[in-house]
Amino acid sequence: MGAHKTFWTRLLPAILLVAVLLLVLGCNNSDPQNTFSPAGDVARRQRDLFNIVLWPAVAVLVLVETLLVYAVVRFRRRKGDELPAQVHGNSRLELGWTIAPAVLLMALTVPTLSAIWDLGRAPAADALQVKVTGIQWRWQFEYPDIKDSQGKPLQVFDQLHIPVNKEIGAHLQSLDVIHSFWVPKLAGKLDVMPGRENRMWFNATKPGTYSGQCAEFCGLGHADMRLTVVAESEEDFQAWVDDQLKGGGSAGAKPGTPDLVSRGE
Amino acid sequence: MARAAEQKPSPILDAMRQIREDAASYRGIWSWITTVDHKRIGIMYGVTALGFFLLGGIEALLIRLQLSTPNARVLDPDQYNRIFTMHGTTMIFLVVMPLSAAFFNLITPLMIGARDVAFPRLNAFSYWVFLAGGIFMNASFFTGGNILHGELGAPDAGWFGYAPLTLNRFSPGEGVDFWALGLQILGIASMASGFNFIVTILNMRAPGMTLFRMPLFVWMTLVTSFLIVFAMPVITVALFELLFDRLFDANFFNVAKGGTPLLWQHMFWLFGHPEVYILILPAMGIVSEVLPTFARKPLFGYPFVVFSGIAIAFMSWGVWAHHMFTTGLGAIANSAFGVSTILIAIPTGVKIFNWLATLWGGSISLKTPLYFAIGFIAMFTIGGLTGVTHSIVPSDYQQQDTYYVVAHFHQVLFGGAIFGLFAGIYYWYPKFTGRMLYEGLGQVQFWLMFIGFNLTFQPMMILGLLGMPRRIYSYPQGQGWDAWNLVATVGAFLIATSVLIFIINVIATARRKERAEADPWDGRTLEWSLPSPVPAYNFAKIPTVHALDDFWHQKYAEDESGRPVPVAAGGSGEEEPEVDVHGIHMPSPSFFPLITALGLPIIATGLIYDPAIVAVGAAVLVVGIYGWALEPASE
Amino acid sequence: MQHSPALETNTGVDNRKLLMWLFLASECLFFGSLIGAYLLYRDKNVTGPYPKDLFDIPFTSVSAFILLMSSVTMVLALAAVQRGDQRGLRIWLLTTAFMGILFVSGQAFEFTEFHRQGLSLSTNMFGTTFFVLTGFHGAHVTVGILILLSLFVMAWRGRLTQAESLHVELAGLYWHFVDIVWIVIFTLVYLIQP
Repeated sequence: MGAHKTFWTRLLPAILLVAVLLLVLGCNNSDPQNTFSPAGDVARRQRDLFNIVLWPAVAVLVLVETLLVYAVVRFRRRKGDELPAQVHGNSRLELGWTIAPAVLLMALTVPTLSAIWDLGRAPAADALQVKVTGIQWRWQFEYPDIKDSQGKPLQVFDQLHIPVNKEIGAHLQSLDVIHSFWVPKLAGKLDVMPGRENRMWFNATKPGTYSGQCAEFCGLGHADMRLTVVAESEEDFQAWVDDQLKGGGSAGAKPGTPDLVSRGE
Repeated sequence: MARAAEQKPSPILDAMRQIREDAASYRGIWSWITTVDHKRIGIMYGVTALGFFLLGGIEALLIRLQLSTPNARVLDPDQYNRIFTMHGTTMIFLVVMPLSAAFFNLITPLMIGARDVAFPRLNAFSYWVFLAGGIFMNASFFTGGNILHGELGAPDAGWFGYAPLTLNRFSPGEGVDFWALGLQILGIASMASGFNFIVTILNMRAPGMTLFRMPLFVWMTLVTSFLIVFAMPVITVALFELLFDRLFDANFFNVAKGGTPLLWQHMFWLFGHPEVYILILPAMGIVSEVLPTFARKPLFGYPFVVFSGIAIAFMSWGVWAHHMFTTGLGAIANSAFGVSTILIAIPTGVKIFNWLATLWGGSISLKTPLYFAIGFIAMFTIGGLTGVTHSIVPSDYQQQDTYYVVAHFHQVLFGGAIFGLFAGIYYWYPKFTGRMLYEGLGQVQFWLMFIGFNLTFQPMMILGLLGMPRRIYSYPQGQGWDAWNLVATVGAFLIATSVLIFIINVIATARRKERAEADPWDGRTLEWSLPSPVPAYNFAKIPTVHALDDFWHQKYAEDESGRPVPVAAGGSGEEEPEVDVHGIHMPSPSFFPLITALGLPIIATGLIYDPAIVAVGAAVLVVGIYGWALEPASE
Repeated sequence: MQHSPALETNTGVDNRKLLMWLFLASECLFFGSLIGAYLLYRDKNVTGPYPKDLFDIPFTSVSAFILLMSSVTMVLALAAVQRGDQRGLRIWLLTTAFMGILFVSGQAFEFTEFHRQGLSLSTNMFGTTFFVLTGFHGAHVTVGILILLSLFVMAWRGRLTQAESLHVELAGLYWHFVDIVWIVIFTLVYLIQP
């Protein structure tokens, strides 16, 4: 036994876990869909919430695994061992390890509920509204408040431009099966359903191009149903809008893309 | 009922009776086909489930090969979607549930001092229906064209089959029909089994065995069986609704006519969440038997562990929408289900501490069953904690539908349930086969499986947090996912190797000369008082039970400090010579469970291809039912 | 069916009776789910025909009443077999089955009438949920009729004596359950209109 065993049973689990965590947290920020390098308020809040639960969880993990390994090593049967005392239980202990986790878990509900309501509120009145339509296997984005000379709203495919630091009100609907709109660095996902509109607010707080993809299995093209969000300064965004409206408002559409309106149910 | 002497003579019935008499002597293939013996049924469940484990494992390896590198071409999207659908469906319904059923069958009657289950023919029927359902569903692989050219017909809409993707418009072809009908068939098997074990446990315990003197595994069997009989009807209705939409143009999930796809999700998960506890509670029961035996002290806090199991079962009905946090149910629903999900962690966590306390202060024998039980605790802890992170609702908006979820449920279903079931296999193997599995090979299997498991699934937590969604056949370079995926694939092949070691162990053990004793582990429960293997009638004399862990108390008394002291005349049983076992009447073998079971896949095939076949299947079913009803249970 | 009389059981309830109660409990979830779907979709019809256009409450009330009364005759059948009255058993079994057949015929008539007026599974949510819910119920009644007729044949052949009265009791439990489900369906679907 001795120091050697002590290392394996006590320190090693802890070292391993810390190593994994460092790996996780130190993950390359340039990984395009890394939820640990948020670029928007929603994703940031979600990451912070995860950190709140992560550390207590790790603590519990280290505690349990260490106790487990320690118990198996320390109480290993040796030749000539007597049969151990037949302990049946200890009500105080059992109550204790019921109540303690309960208290810890109830504490977690507070930041959780707060975030559910904050993140679930309707988009602000002055948010930039975007209609997000999913259809096997493309994304259509429409800006109801940005109209061309004939009054038709600006429509683009697969790449959404937004101004940085501006709240976006996204209205999600599907024309066929269930999809899910997900740009990890900006916000957690929300499903895109037929016959029912889901809405969420989000923003980008740093300029950049953020990649996302459909996050609800939707058939053969699910893996390829990708999108990008380009967050840019207000001037750049306006320039892009003007450019789109001049060019007919169908940027990003591949030739032969069916008119989504006529493909409805 | 109809007495043999009063039936009109008939060559067919005579032949059947002759076969049944031969079968009663336990020899030959017919003895297996007509068996109603819970031990044989348990073995059939176990062998069949392990066969499907290999099939599901091959499907997993194909998935991992395809995902080992970006833009791989091992499988195309169509093949990939079918393979991952079948992998999930197989592992849940054709592996973990039947392996649990194998143990219910093998162990529960012995643990309660009974000679068999309440309804032996219904028991056999459950097995044959399971086998029929598994074959039926997998037959769909062949309906897509030339399977040798990689044209597969299997279902491809995921094991969870969300509407409207599963409707005809988006999933033409028979794959989803095979899936839905196959699950209906399997549901019948599960329900029959559930009913049988509830009645057996409530009604057939040996004298003196009150509910709180039952082994914990029996409690988990009871609780799981209740979950089955209440949860399965919900998915039965959901599947009927889907089938009516697909086959008869109904509108349950048709948005254009006013339907909503959310109805499918609510019903599926109302079933689905209790289902995951159906998957884990039996393995928890096994761990709760293995730990005390190998630590040589009782389960710490037995009443607490019982109540936590019951609490989990009740609470499991109130958390289903945590699978739907990202569907836009609204802040109120998300809050309610978030809190209920956080709360269900409590009874689950309690068990872990009780298990630790069972080991603490024990005299632990490091044998393969114990390794797997320890592995269960270690892995289930991680799985449970990742579950807690899911319950922190807004962070679940990032985790949902990613590899983080895949990591979570494999942690609890593989690191948990499968490890627990392997503990059971190694633990009870000698009781039913009369031979001990090789300890050396067992430990090699454990370590390979443990290391392989961790290599496969821990990276998936990272992949999920790095934004890799589920159910994608391929991914591009530059996402930061490449290395982790490769590691996961290597891990999967390590797991496969460990399974190979297990198979080798089984084969080698079959040739072992040494026979196992009745009580090789110095066990605590009644099955260890019987010879290995167990005779057909189980107990020569039904025991009278005086305490929890009655068999242990037959062997040991406790001194003043609570330490066990061997009792002179205690110990595992050869049959007491005075008892005449020939007076014991056991239920007769029967053809009708199999015949009745056959009707079901025939009806299902007819529903897909030709109504005339439905009529044939219905006729077989009716013949089976009437034959069963009119046949005496024993002659 | 087991040849032996009820074995001693821990609960005191015969195995088969316990099984029937468990089965009926699971059926509560089965019908509950179907009724839930009906109620969820009640006001979601995009087109007609609507319930108020089609329902003939007096007609359905009569067939509901018949089913209700059949539970009474079922009780009479059980009482008969328990006191050894074989003739009474046969009469009341047959009567119950006959009333069940009347009920199912009424259902069939209603179905064809609604269909004639333009309601099918695919027409709207009402068509879908109504036919599936009441159709499954009708199927359950039909199975019950087959069980009753089988028991009648057994009684006719002298095989349903006092000692085997449990079979009648179990059939009765099933029959009463199917009746109660109809009371719920009749109330929620036919009588209570939004």
